[in-house]
Amino acid sequence: MDKTILHIDLDTFYVSVERLINRELQNRPLLVGGTGDRGVVAACSYETRGFGVHSGMPMKMARELCPEAVVIRGNAGTYSKHSDVVTEIIKEQVPLFEKSSIDEFYADLTGMDRFFGAYKYAAEMRQRIVKETGLPISFGLSVNKVVSKVATNEAKPNNHLKIDQGFEKLFLAPLSIKKIPMVGDKTYQTLRNLGLRQVKNVQEMPVDVMQRVLGANGKVIWKRSNGIDNTPVIPFCERKSISTERTFDRDTIDVVKLRGILIAMTENLAYQLRRGEKLTACVSVKIRYSDFNTYSKQLRIPYTSADHILIPKILDMFKTLYNRRLLVRLVGIRFSHLVSGNYQINLFDDTEETLNLYHAMDTIRKRYGDKSVLRASGLGAKTIGRMQNPFNGLPPVVLAHRRQ
Amino acid sequence: MKFIVSSTYLLKQLQILGGVINNSNTLPILDNFLFDLNKAKLTVSASDLETTMSSVLKVDSESEGTIAVPARLLLDILKTFPEQPLTFVVEDNHTVEISSNSGKYALAYAEGAEFPKAVELADPSSTTLMGDILATAIDKTIFASGNDDLRPVMSGVFFQFSTENLTFVATDAHKLVKYRRDDVSASEVAEFIMPKKPLNLLKGILGGSESDVLIEYNDSNAKFSFEETVLICRLIDGKYPNYEAVIPKENPNKLSISRNQFLSSVRRVAIFSNKTTHQIRLKIAGTELNISAEDIDYSNKAEERLTCAYQGDDMQIGFNSRFLTEMLNNLNSEEVTLEMSLPNRAGILTPADGLDEGENVTMLVMPVMLNG
Repeated sequence: MDKTILHIDLDTFYVSVERLINRELQNRPLLVGGTGDRGVVAACSYETRGFGVHSGMPMKMARELCPEAVVIRGNAGTYSKHSDVVTEIIKEQVPLFEKSSIDEFYADLTGMDRFFGAYKYAAEMRQRIVKETGLPISFGLSVNKVVSKVATNEAKPNNHLKIDQGFEKLFLAPLSIKKIPMVGDKTYQTLRNLGLRQVKNVQEMPVDVMQRVLGANGKVIWKRSNGIDNTPVIPFCERKSISTERTFDRDTIDVVKLRGILIAMTENLAYQLRRGEKLTACVSVKIRYSDFNTYSKQLRIPYTSADHILIPKILDMFKTLYNRRLLVRLVGIRFSHLVSGNYQINLFDDTEETLNLYHAMDTIRKRYGDKSVLRASGLGAKTIGRMQNPFNGLPPVVLAHRRQ
Repeated sequence: MKFIVSSTYLLKQLQILGGVINNSNTLPILDNFLFDLNKAKLTVSASDLETTMSSVLKVDSESEGTIAVPARLLLDILKTFPEQPLTFVVEDNHTVEISSNSGKYALAYAEGAEFPKAVELADPSSTTLMGDILATAIDKTIFASGNDDLRPVMSGVFFQFSTENLTFVATDAHKLVKYRRDDVSASEVAEFIMPKKPLNLLKGILGGSESDVLIEYNDSNAKFSFEETVLICRLIDGKYPNYEAVIPKENPNKLSISRNQFLSSVRRVAIFSNKTTHQIRLKIAGTELNISAEDIDYSNKAEERLTCAYQGDDMQIGFNSRFLTEMLNNLNSEEVTLEMSLPNRAGILTPADGLDEGENVTMLVMPVMLNG
């Protein structure tokens, strides 16, 4: 059966939220992102795009391109709150939806045409969101996720577009291949080298040639170019891993500081595990030197969520990983192989005092926030970690430039 | 070298010894049985370097000599014979010829001298106990021992002999079993850690046996002699954790329940628990025991209520259901008692009945840290 899939996207979400908070920013060039030397643009208003600014660009460069822009550091918590308001409205209005990121939604409106007229219904919902939240929003409506997403991007800003059934190929044909989700800079170059510029060209390619050039991805790109996509709308997002990383303002060789940061990261993630009643069986450490060479190491361990087991493992791995006597640009850790469960107490290693201490610390954190108690060794890295429960079934808050 | 032996008698002995031989050996000679013939006495040995077991067989022979015969081949052929006398003749061309009623079979053998010698115990202490007691002690404890290569001491069973009693302990740091016999004792105080493999062999051989087992031991090796069989093994080196210290002394919350009922409820509920953590939750209030489990990933959920005798405060405690079923399965009493103090302290499981005179079993299981 043919489906009706709606893709909803909040336009320049972070920028719109900032403008909502501060009316004076209306119609002024605005950049949201890291303000430090290493900061990148997370979102930029349409006014700045004329200057060549785009998200993911180093903030320094963006400022040079558009010196009159207002730069705001941004606050993920505020954005989440606004995103939740929009989510609530959508939840109320549609039978099945997927929140694929902080500012993007897919909704399955299959079968609703019979009663409402899906396009009219979506347009009314868009109006309602605009009216109730004051945030500009765009949507695309078609038979699958990919075409709807492309349609939304074409409709932007603050508009909507419907691709009638059977016209998917025609709609995609004149567009640049860059518009196909999944075609990033690398793939774009590869495809350009093949002489492909428009989606039309890809549509005309035999699928096995695409597969030979780009591997399994080639087939997917070919299918997407032809408007074929059967991925369902998944209402719940299962976390497969949790991670955190930090890029320094200035590259560092201070091992004590690095260890302190790793301890703070581990402590925070371990707390997230315990709060979500999860255990991890695989830990990994990532390190990027100033020359951008990135190394990582992972280790299988028995299922655990205890600080005193995880911290030494992380520090051990860091010790073997950090062997180049070079400045370090980034460190990060990741816990994967997650399962639901609680920490199995060890007869000999765990004393009642430590268990009670953990319990008390977690209770304090639950009441007064993640950062209310920490190890002294991790105090140097106060800004590490997240404030949100990662196991709430929602997708991680990813900055705009990080996703494809 | 020539001898005549009954096929089933030989097979029976070799099958027992065959348990020592590993499936893959770094030393090819260890794939063999060592036959050491001395007139009517044939000593057959098998070894994996850690453990060596030998049995003395009565055969019909006049000659002497030692050879190493491929174990797999010999066992395979022996299994096919009905009861009959077999004649083994060692030929000059490095083969041993077996003659049966139906034909002749030749297998290549290796020099007996290549076979590693079993260690001689220097200056051993000794104790004697009945085979079945030893087998029971092993059976009651070995399941609780660990598999962690990083903590080798926990991969064995701790033998603790004193002049008053014998104690056997096994633990993997999550569960612990202590089995004590007050009706047998040793001549002097001694402690050693036995690896699992020889214990499993002994358990298999000695189950139900009424004969006495002589245990000799020193710091590095132990030797078990019974009937015509001798097993010598290397002990696990290291200090066993101080298990007495972790057994909680004061446990005000005491639950008494039918073992079978408890076991089958835990088993049923555990099917609905998380497939990796096997976590279940016990809620005890008044005389009601509530057992529940949940697998959030698949929305599976189960809950059962049992009536029990309970003294103490209402409490909630989480366990790995695997540990509970293993322990309850290992007991054979009608009733069990579970003593607890706090949700983050060990639960102590003891049988309320069904023990022999002088037998004493204590099982410890560590809970999981439940939130809130």
